[in-house]
Amino acid sequence: MTAPMHPAMPKVQETLTNAPMLAAWRAEGALALQRCADCATVVFFPRSVCPHCWSTRLDWFRATGTGRIVSFSVIHRGLPEAFQADAPIVLAEVALAEGVPMIARVAAPDVGAVRSGMAVRLVPRDEAARYPLPTFAPA
Amino acid sequence: MRDVGIIGYGSSVYEKKASRTEMSYMAEAARAALASAGLAKADVDGISTSSTTLAPDNAVTAAEYLGLTVSWASVSNAGGAGGPVNVLDAVRAVEAGRASAVLCLAGAAQDGAFFRDRIGRFNRSIADYLAPHGCGGVNGLFGIVQRKHMETYGTTRRQLGRIAVDQRANARANPAALLRAAMTIDDYLAAPVVADPLGLYDCVMPCSGAEAILVGPLDRAPAGKGVRVKAGRECHNHPAGEVSPIRGGWETFREALYDEAGFGPDAMQFVQAYDDYPIMVAIQLEDLGFCAKGTVGPFLASRSVTFDGDLPVNTGGGQLSCGQTGGGGGMIGLTEAVRQLRGEGGARQVPGARRGLVSGYGMVAYGHGLSSSALVLEAA
Ligand SMILES: [Zn+2]
Repeated sequence: MTAPMHPAMPKVQETLTNAPMLAAWRAEGALALQRCADCATVVFFPRSVCPHCWSTRLDWFRATGTGRIVSFSVIHRGLPEAFQADAPIVLAEVALAEGVPMIARVAAPDVGAVRSGMAVRLVPRDEAARYPLPTFAPA
Repeated sequence: MRDVGIIGYGSSVYEKKASRTEMSYMAEAARAALASAGLAKADVDGISTSSTTLAPDNAVTAAEYLGLTVSWASVSNAGGAGGPVNVLDAVRAVEAGRASAVLCLAGAAQDGAFFRDRIGRFNRSIADYLAPHGCGGVNGLFGIVQRKHMETYGTTRRQLGRIAVDQRANARANPAALLRAAMTIDDYLAAPVVADPLGLYDCVMPCSGAEAILVGPLDRAPAGKGVRVKAGRECHNHPAGEVSPIRGGWETFREALYDEAGFGPDAMQFVQAYDDYPIMVAIQLEDLGFCAKGTVGPFLASRSVTFDGDLPVNTGGGQLSCGQTGGGGGMIGLTEAVRQLRGEGGARQVPGARRGLVSGYGMVAYGHGLSSSALVLEAA
């Protein structure tokens, strides 16, 4: 890994529901999503029931880890301590290739070059350990 | 059925740092509300709270604290949309005979550091799926919303700045507002960037204080001081499954709200809209029919929203200039509306204010505020 996670990084509470997503990210730097076995809806954030049809048959699958920025904010001030060394940081709505929206950080080497519509993909596997949740970079 | 409405209102002092507890601020607002109605404490037999910081206390323990025995108690789960919801519920409770005079309370004892610590745990989806990304309070979320509105409709920061600048002008006529320094549009545009495209004057300042509304039979209000709730609605989790939408639940009930009221935006002399950020005020103006969807930019460019302008908005300065007292931010528009409709607006009185709209917004969760509400009010 390139750099460890900041010790003050906010923690994700691991639950019986979200454990597979966290495991995929922590072990492989991959994005795991749920898909409803009854209506095919792709679900994020992790749930125990499909928000579309209330089926409980939600299957985990490995997402492509790609998408496009729908809109974004470049956050300069008011960040918790764990993020200040990285400021400004980009927080974006990402339309995943699987058709579900996600809000995620985009680790961009050139923040000024980030644009809506820009293609993004998950950060390289050896950088994933810096981030508590699936994080993207310009593709 | 008795003719029930708002018979009293009150606000506590606002302070940048807490000098006392949340219950204490709410008690001060409650005393003022009773005084404005000419009622005694013993007349109150219902209570509701829409604070977001009161847990583990609640409406019942607020009654304990205030020494009230009540026949009806209710607590909101709609965050900053909770004030209008609680007042509507209180009206229905009194109509139904569940209580005869209901105190609706909300406030907070906080400062910026308290708020930043708490917002990351506001609910589970924020705590687990947003805070670990570093959303910067929730400024980053609303930066995403504002950029989407700007890129979808061509809305500009200068157009949205009209809201912050005119509300500051309103605050300068409100001695209770915490932020009263003069602000021009150039000041607004030149302010430090917080969460681009949001600047410093787009973001509310968390502070301490409380608001109170007293609901009861209108014939118990002092002569000429009652305020009738002509219509009210709430909506939660709309649009379901979208993140950072540039519309909200108001669009689902707008027509029903105005049908029930018997009049619409053209007949109202002011709007008190929930103003955690100017972009959300702008979206409420669109979704509540003051202008067509996507046209709020040119609308604001051609208007003045000061108390003496052609569409007065947040006539006391709103949260943007008074400060945000947690869930009290969902009631500051209600107390200001009642103050205006009673003709007690002082230096910021809207001329001829007879009818107005109060809208609420809150319970920020995964990507946006889930809760929307609105009341149409009329001088009784
Ligand atoms: Zn389903």
